[in-house]
Amino acid sequence: MLTSPLQLRGRSAPSRILFGPHVTNLGRGRALTERHVAYYAERAVGGCGVIVTEAASVHGSDRPYERAPLASSCRDGWRAIRAACPDTLVLAGLGHAGSQGSTAFTGQALWGASRVPDVVSREVPQVMEQPEIDALVAGFASAAAEAAAAGLDGVEIQAGQHSLLRQFLSGLTNHRPDTYGEDRSLLLREVVGAVRAALGPDHVLGLRLCCDELAPWAGITPTSAHALLTTPLPDLPASRALASRESRSELRRVAPSASASREFLQRESGAPGPRVGSSDPASRHVEDTESAVPGDAATLAQLVDYLVPVRGSGLTVPATRPDLHTPPGFNRPLARSFLGLGVPIVLQGSVVDPDMAEEELGAGVALVEMTRAQIADPRLVAHVRAGTPERIRPCTLANQHRARDPRNPLITDEAEPRSGHETLDPALPLEPNGAAGELLVVGGGPAGLEAARTAALYGHRVRLVERAPQLGGALRYAAAVHGRSRFGLLVEWWERELDRLGVEVTLGVEVGREDLTGDVVLATGSVPSPAALVAAPDVVVLPAGEFEAAVLAAAGPRRPSDPPTSEGTAAVLPAGTHVVVHDPIGDWTGVGIAEQVAAAGLPCALVTPDAVAGTQLSRTGDLAEANARLERAGVARELFTRLRSAGGGTALLTDVHHGAAREIPCTVVIDCAHRLPDDGLWRGHEGLLRGGHLATRAAGTPDSRCRNSRLAGAQSATRGGSQRDSGEHGARLAGAESATRGGSERGVAARLVVAGDCVAPRTVHEAVREGRRAVHCLRSSAGVVSAHGPSRDSSRVS
Amino acid sequence: MLHEPLHAGRLRLRNRVVFTAHLTGYATDGLPTPRHTAYYAARAAGGAGLVITEEHSVHRHDRPYEKLIRGHDPAVLPGYRALTDAVHAHGAVVLAQLNHNGPQSSGLYSREPVRGPSAVPDPMFREVPVAMTEADLDEVVAGYALTARHCVEGGFDGVELQCSHASLVRCFLSPATNHRDDAYGGTLENRARLLLRIVAAVRRELGDRVLGVRLGGEEGIEGGIGLDEGVALARLLEGTGEVDHLNTSIGVATASLHLIEASMHTPADYATFIPSAIRAAVRVPVIAVGRFTEPAVAEQALVEGHCDVVGVARGQIASPDFAAPGGPTRVCVGCNQECVGRVGMNQPLGCAVNPRAGHESVALPMPAVPRRVIVAGGGPAGLRAAATAAGRGHRVTLYERGRLGGQLALAALAPGRGELAHVVRDLVAECERAGVEIVRGEPGDLGGADVVVLATGARPARRWPGALDVRDVLDGAAAPTGAVLVVDELGFHHATSVAELLAARGCTVEIVTPGMVVGQDLGLTLDREGFRRRAHAAGIRLTTDRLVTAVEPGRVTLVHHPTGRTETREVDAVVCAVPAEPDDALWSTLRDRPGVHRIGDCLAPRRMDAALRDGERLAVNL
Repeated sequence: MLTSPLQLRGRSAPSRILFGPHVTNLGRGRALTERHVAYYAERAVGGCGVIVTEAASVHGSDRPYERAPLASSCRDGWRAIRAACPDTLVLAGLGHAGSQGSTAFTGQALWGASRVPDVVSREVPQVMEQPEIDALVAGFASAAAEAAAAGLDGVEIQAGQHSLLRQFLSGLTNHRPDTYGEDRSLLLREVVGAVRAALGPDHVLGLRLCCDELAPWAGITPTSAHALLTTPLPDLPASRALASRESRSELRRVAPSASASREFLQRESGAPGPRVGSSDPASRHVEDTESAVPGDAATLAQLVDYLVPVRGSGLTVPATRPDLHTPPGFNRPLARSFLGLGVPIVLQGSVVDPDMAEEELGAGVALVEMTRAQIADPRLVAHVRAGTPERIRPCTLANQHRARDPRNPLITDEAEPRSGHETLDPALPLEPNGAAGELLVVGGGPAGLEAARTAALYGHRVRLVERAPQLGGALRYAAAVHGRSRFGLLVEWWERELDRLGVEVTLGVEVGREDLTGDVVLATGSVPSPAALVAAPDVVVLPAGEFEAAVLAAAGPRRPSDPPTSEGTAAVLPAGTHVVVHDPIGDWTGVGIAEQVAAAGLPCALVTPDAVAGTQLSRTGDLAEANARLERAGVARELFTRLRSAGGGTALLTDVHHGAAREIPCTVVIDCAHRLPDDGLWRGHEGLLRGGHLATRAAGTPDSRCRNSRLAGAQSATRGGSQRDSGEHGARLAGAESATRGGSERGVAARLVVAGDCVAPRTVHEAVREGRRAVHCLRSSAGVVSAHGPSRDSSRVS
Repeated sequence: MLHEPLHAGRLRLRNRVVFTAHLTGYATDGLPTPRHTAYYAARAAGGAGLVITEEHSVHRHDRPYEKLIRGHDPAVLPGYRALTDAVHAHGAVVLAQLNHNGPQSSGLYSREPVRGPSAVPDPMFREVPVAMTEADLDEVVAGYALTARHCVEGGFDGVELQCSHASLVRCFLSPATNHRDDAYGGTLENRARLLLRIVAAVRRELGDRVLGVRLGGEEGIEGGIGLDEGVALARLLEGTGEVDHLNTSIGVATASLHLIEASMHTPADYATFIPSAIRAAVRVPVIAVGRFTEPAVAEQALVEGHCDVVGVARGQIASPDFAAPGGPTRVCVGCNQECVGRVGMNQPLGCAVNPRAGHESVALPMPAVPRRVIVAGGGPAGLRAAATAAGRGHRVTLYERGRLGGQLALAALAPGRGELAHVVRDLVAECERAGVEIVRGEPGDLGGADVVVLATGARPARRWPGALDVRDVLDGAAAPTGAVLVVDELGFHHATSVAELLAARGCTVEIVTPGMVVGQDLGLTLDREGFRRRAHAAGIRLTTDRLVTAVEPGRVTLVHHPTGRTETREVDAVVCAVPAEPDDALWSTLRDRPGVHRIGDCLAPRRMDAALRDGERLAVNL
């Protein structure tokens, strides 16, 4: 059913999966670009049924972020997307962020329903008067007309998160004394009417509507949303208070007047007919459901072709697309409660699993929005269609690569770095092809796993050697952090992929320099850095990774996505322990570990130099909630603070600004500081290729003299003296015998490329990117292996 | 002395004022833009002797922020030529600043790991750098040479190497970030090896053009470069015979930025000890920087022999004619709202007191018909609108019933915020020069006006009976004593400065906010560190995550919203910093009259920059 077509306004969507509107930063100025085209085309080719493009502002007063599209600048982009997605329904997302916008790029006051400052920006908006309201309605209508003229199948009106239309609907933000306050849905009805009139009967009009602001004291509730959708529409006030103003004629020029659109609507709704249809018998009851509503009096629900119920207000922005702390499919009850209103319902809300989508389609929803799941894997629908859903790359829902950030990052995914970079990064083969040479991958963390997978897809015979008894590397530990078990799904996916692609995996074997022969990708990960604090012998200092390794060991064998129990944590931290989590980075690790410790029932403090805990979580949307969770869990947040030393049962803290010192109880420090590269195998190696990501045009060999002597103590590997002078070109395969080398290596030709944390410890995203890049680098460099034949003696490794 | 020429070797300047390098965020796709050209040309036209552009990156892996000029890319050349021609046309010397940010950077845009002397993560970017190999260093040196070549071809008179506060070279120089045990680490000579290689390579490209070096003399971080090493480095550089000027700097951009771009709370001239010490040790010209807000302060630094040239960045952003014989039309007050505050948020640089800054490339044709303009309200929005409109030939009368300067004049009464009064002083002077008629009182007959501008401001919101507004404290209407709770919903200086005022008067003060941080936006203007130090010293208690639910005599009820826990405070007074209400009574009577406009707080209560911008925008469109 997920893969069966769906009819909307006589237009056919090839599947029941929708790619929702979201910020991409792929624009230039305020226009859509070839990057957008490639991004959406990738999802269309992958089988997506309906694509709603990045929401475009319908009026110049709105520029919620620098690269927010402006509808009047989108015509060419919409056309190009249309052409690139011929079989998919493509709708233009249209909106106005109102008081949730930004003044940074317009320099003008925000527009709002009332003088209620946005919680995040604290900007007080200008209260819209009739001219602004008229301009807004006209803007929606002309943008819709523009989208239709560009060949799109229709539009989706944004009345969900970040929308002026929601702000008018909500008692939180609409305190107006006029008709738009007495009837808070009036503006939405005017906009829907004007857009329908502009689109005509043959185009799709979708509505993304906030149906629960999670603020029952004044906000939209499911009950009020239900009433809004089902109350028979009053006649739109054709002679609105200020209808005689100049702007009215302006409006009329762009779009038929409200009364005209009302006539149009009545004409349309006179013969509503089933607007959802399918050749799939399993979906019949959907038609039944949708046509079951008697339809004499038109309701708002009947004026639109589909409804996406979403949740969240300006007080709870992250609740709309929450991170992995919220279970997938959280909106299922909400969506189901809107079935039977005569309008097809789209289920939105962290849906990432095709089985869940299938189940909800069976229960009567018409479409399922799977936006982040298709950022993670553009071929999601194609895999379902092919009967290979196990090959879908899991979506972590971690939101770590969300584009809504002042730095304007491009949209992408934790484990699919090509997303958002379709015009920059080459596509990988879909199936193994060709017959390339052999490749040794050292290290079974994300970088090594993705290198092995990539090489196998290019037809290499791949052998992956991992020193641990299982695959996953640091990702297993990352997935053990409280609330982050979805990261384990990636490990399980890579295990399936390597198995499918016939990669030979050797576990529990340490690789030495002498084992590096032929083409090699080194992805040996990281080691802890020495603790930055002074710790007395009576204090246990555990690096975060080693802490989670111990917890996993204590918790016993389990799938990577199966989080360790509190007992596992408690086994590592005995009763009576006072834990101080040292977090100089401010990402998800310190916060998660503090929650983990608290969940095990132990007193815990989180020490951060920042103003808040987990400062980097502002990008994921979890910042405020993470801090609130810590408060509720009883974790002491030691803000603006440095951990200086620990011993004798206490830790000494100082304020980062005024230096005042204080002591807190402490017997164990869990250190979430940066790790250091485990680069012993590659530093100074002559066969190192530059071009993966270590340097570019000029090639050269790293020199062990540059090792960081103060920090090197933490690392096991040490090597002989300097190997080479600068300027020699490592891209050439080094001579077999290197007189100055440490001596244990044999004269075996090798080409090395390095990837991931063994270069610089970062996240899974960089590891995947570099794992792929390593293989591309080997493939595009002069083929040593083909020149010399397959590498010799590789069986020595085991 | 400020207006005397400088002839020192290759450096020949018409006066001693330099527009020093600073990020603008005007680049698009890595290239300089017409916006850059107009921006720098305006300072040259205003009289600057030397313009040093923002940094040009020398290597493609170096992309610390989005709107960076990629000097290593030959596509910059047309932009370079346009920029240098425009500056030269006004008689100024123009240098490009060259830089590689090393580990003070991110892989977000480059999609590469960052690189540095050692695997020591930067305190702000927090990415572990790859310890650079000799080959990496060769590549960087070659990148400097290539970029210098582009600068020569693009018409620059030379370059300045950024070796202070945000650079790979700094990270090599500083023991805090250089932990190497090879020829590039350890002794000062070793740590300076990369710098000296770059100097030699760049000199080869420059011929007899100017080569300057910007050095730090006090990093303000643990284990960083101090004054002694700064002076030793200066001697080392002079010894090469290749360096034509030494510029100076204080702080580290990613650790102690508040030292570099010090706000209004820091006295002018605060960093002069660094050039002073260096100048005493070398013969090459030395540039001083550090909040030279008025020409007299710059003059004094020169006369006292602390430096040969004075760097004025923010002063010339605020007033491009800083170096003109008649002096600046307005001064920078160190508010940091639109320069530092915007650039830090990846937004193009602007200026709170000069709405034209960064918009110099937009032509403003003079109006065809002079109009009769009445401005109601003499706060920042009204004064700005009046001055600009009158300057463009309109006949302007401004009515103010109370004090000129509006809330800005009040805010200037708070401790450390006194320079805000200069904004009012400068606006009033501009109005007077432009011929604005300023009338004390309410606007009377509007009959003769073509345009009526309502700039009537905002009044305090009286949310709880008995609670005071920050304005009541500042204007003396109330003088609370004892225990005072300051309720902050604005997140800026309103609450924090009044809290400081009350603490200084002996009150016991607590600031409470529903937000996650007290004075959240003080971070944008680099005032947070100073405020927290002063608040600690004054015993001001800072409390977050609390909503006020009830204010009764002597008692306030709060809810800690993450947990729902209720708390109470026994207090003698409550002072509110909450959103104000537009004072728009005139609008409700005049809205249907043609030619009536609202600007500033009476449209939507916002900050100083918005008021001035509204006034400027309206006036140039009349």
